[in-house]
Amino acid sequence: MAAEAAKDLSIQELEKEGQWWWIAEKKRSRRLDYLRKAVWKKGALGGNYAPGIKVDLEMPTLFTNMYNWWKYDPPMLRRAKALAHVLDNIGIFITDQAQLVGYFGSMPNTIAWRLDGASIVNEELYNEPGIMPEPEEESLKKVAELNSYWSGNTAVDKLARVLDPEDAVKFLSGAIGWGAPTSAYGYSGKDYEYIFAGRRGFLDIIEEIDANIEGAEDRTMGMPGPDILPLYERLQNWDAMKLILEAAIRYAGRYARLARTIAENFETDPKRKEELIRLAESCETVPAHAPQTFQQSLQYDHFIQIICRLEAHEGAWPARPDYYHWPMYDKDVNIEKNITGEEAMDLVGEFMIRAYEVGGFGPRWAREGLQGITGTWVWTLGGVNQDGSDACNDLTLAFLKAARLVRVSNPTFGFRWHPKVSDKIMREVFECIRHGLGYPSIRNDPLLIQNSMHWHGHPLEEARTWVHQACMSPCPTTKHGVQPMRMASATANCAKMVEYALHNGYDHVVQMQMGPRTGDARKYTDFEQLFSAWVQQMEWIMNTLVRTVNLGRFKDPEFYGRPFLSATYERAVESGLDAVSPVGERGNCWVTFFTWVENADSLAAVKKLVFDEKKYTMTQLMDALEANWEGCEKMRLDFVNGAPKWGNDDDYVDDLMIRCLREVARHSREMKCPCGNSWPALPENVSGNIHYASIVGALPNGRRLGDALYDGGISPGPGLDKNGPSAVLKSCGKIDHVGDGRAFLLNQRLSPTQMAGEKGYQLWKAYMRTWADLGLDHVQFNMVSDETLRAAQKDPEKYQEVIVRVAGYSAHFVDISRKTQDNIIQRTIQGI
Amino acid sequence: MKCTECGFEAPVQNFRYLYNARIDASISLRQCPQCQARLAVDELAGEATQKVGDGEAPWGKSAGIEGLAEDNAS
Repeated sequence: MAAEAAKDLSIQELEKEGQWWWIAEKKRSRRLDYLRKAVWKKGALGGNYAPGIKVDLEMPTLFTNMYNWWKYDPPMLRRAKALAHVLDNIGIFITDQAQLVGYFGSMPNTIAWRLDGASIVNEELYNEPGIMPEPEEESLKKVAELNSYWSGNTAVDKLARVLDPEDAVKFLSGAIGWGAPTSAYGYSGKDYEYIFAGRRGFLDIIEEIDANIEGAEDRTMGMPGPDILPLYERLQNWDAMKLILEAAIRYAGRYARLARTIAENFETDPKRKEELIRLAESCETVPAHAPQTFQQSLQYDHFIQIICRLEAHEGAWPARPDYYHWPMYDKDVNIEKNITGEEAMDLVGEFMIRAYEVGGFGPRWAREGLQGITGTWVWTLGGVNQDGSDACNDLTLAFLKAARLVRVSNPTFGFRWHPKVSDKIMREVFECIRHGLGYPSIRNDPLLIQNSMHWHGHPLEEARTWVHQACMSPCPTTKHGVQPMRMASATANCAKMVEYALHNGYDHVVQMQMGPRTGDARKYTDFEQLFSAWVQQMEWIMNTLVRTVNLGRFKDPEFYGRPFLSATYERAVESGLDAVSPVGERGNCWVTFFTWVENADSLAAVKKLVFDEKKYTMTQLMDALEANWEGCEKMRLDFVNGAPKWGNDDDYVDDLMIRCLREVARHSREMKCPCGNSWPALPENVSGNIHYASIVGALPNGRRLGDALYDGGISPGPGLDKNGPSAVLKSCGKIDHVGDGRAFLLNQRLSPTQMAGEKGYQLWKAYMRTWADLGLDHVQFNMVSDETLRAAQKDPEKYQEVIVRVAGYSAHFVDISRKTQDNIIQRTIQGI
Repeated sequence: MKCTECGFEAPVQNFRYLYNARIDASISLRQCPQCQARLAVDELAGEATQKVGDGEAPWGKSAGIEGLAEDNAS
């Protein structure tokens, strides 16, 4: 539908057409409309950046200059000084109409480049035509100079020198996992209990640091003994934390001055002048002091997130905004009535837009795995308070409403459902899904709290504070629960487990002996031999990844260091240790399982057609797989349609799925993280199913090299769940969602026609009751028709705002590759 | 196999395999080495059936209530 025609339609007519993006434009305030349209899209389109997006060279240059200057300083202090130099000098801007500020590039169209993380990422800059600032030649020269300085000196370069060479080569092959084992690319949780619940501004923390320094200095000047030796390093760390907090206050002060300068010298609109003065006051208050207003509360949070992103390329955004900003919202909107609900809505909408704006440079493999976005900003809503009572509030409603108005694909929401959630809230959740946002995902709160206690031993009250650490995994926001570093490197490409079990550990795609030699599959005479090989390959893949990540975590304070993050962590402020140090953390690790369900479907197909029915021999199967099923189409279809598939409530394959998961869970308890805790599995995919399409060879489930893998988690293969939604839920319900793993992603697609009106809501609610009764921990929905998606493929310009759920995140449909689009369209539309 | 777009003829393997979006269907996307057109190929018959343009769906509609399955769970 053309824009001009749509603008003439009424909201009722647009609702009937399902043109939710035009409804959003009609309903949102003029300010939100302007801000939404003024923001630059940073997510890659398929694998490429949008025209006009440029890599920011100011931050890397400032950082490198000062990092080099202080070359004799210890790691954390050196990084603190370099980062402080950035905060004092990087270009800043205030978007017209904005009430919140802070970005980690020097201009709105720039993406940040984290150049101290990994040389292999830095080299990727040369492969991206169009992203160098003009004049390009000069920029390329600057990039070459910076790369030359950091080559061999990045966190991953340093780690690679201590890794076992075989592990390093296999890890870096890209076949078995992805990511970089350093906090340079980590997902850091925020210690919200310390900062927000504790009502601390940075000056309060500096006071605590000063007291710790004084206490430590008394001891280092006193009786000699081994107990005082660690204090010398900690004193330097405290200096670093204090230095960076002071720089953060100055950074906010620069925004305050800019806002006042514009207000006093350039702005002619009296209303906007007033807003700029209020913005200046906000930046003069936070982060120095605890926030006094709702606007300041959001601004404080945003400053913390932005400065963390100037310190490291954070791939996720763990947050619980309706919980931690509720006190100030309640004060301003409900109690003191300082602002109206509409004014608060503008702030909430802008808070989401400011997060959507954030984008950093990522290598191609990362962009293909996260098409359309720059990181998984999954914010947590709902849930319970620490005493178990319902935590939903007016701000929960405001975020759900704002999401439909601004329609950004990042952040998205994960909603913590529990039995006490009101119908009013559930209707708003459903409206977001019905409007095609693909979020919130629904999380089973009581079950996930139990899961957190089971796997990581978090006490009940702490477990109840959980936020999404990335797409899916819960993590508390408390002193000993918060997690500073969960690199994407403990991410397994699980389809390789069955592939290696069939090929004696050899990888025909990267042409290297990867896993252990578990035997020639052509000689297998019963299924147990294959399964035993599978268990060995599974253990090898998990061990290789976890060994690498554990070492990365252990060495990170030496090779990287997080002064700012440390300064916002209670345990780091108290101990003087880097926040990344495992000391004082309970441990909350997990191994993300990409491409998981292919294992159960492949094993079931071999078991049934080769060993039970003896329709084919192992030799015939291996010949077909080695030929990538070329010339074997009839046989391939037999392996697809003649063998049971996960998601149909068929015990033959479901029992195999459970058997595989129990082996994984056993091994998860054997492996330990640096904190001494377990490494449970978490099946989900982002868009790794597309990235790995050209890396995973032919499989016995009928997949060929090049085909997208299943869309992830425990979702059945697209089109293979032929027995309807109850059968899907029943299959998934056979999994123990507490003891078998950390969490299990389930994608479901519903019909927008069936979900229309009150009847649609009641049907969905009944479906959700079954979901809860069966004990599933996650579900998320796409509710956009084939017709709309095909039309968007045909005419992308007219469907720029159509959003779909890809996996643990949402993206604008036109920003993802054709293969991913087709994969989403072919997901079964369940009638409920 | 013959390209429906330019008429180029060669064994099916010479047409670059791109992907199959529906694992249970015998339709794949392949690319003609001569004119680069994306072709829908019936893998059982070894025949190119059509050139696939933007928004075209050689696999037909999604499975489920807009295509195939009803809720058959017991």
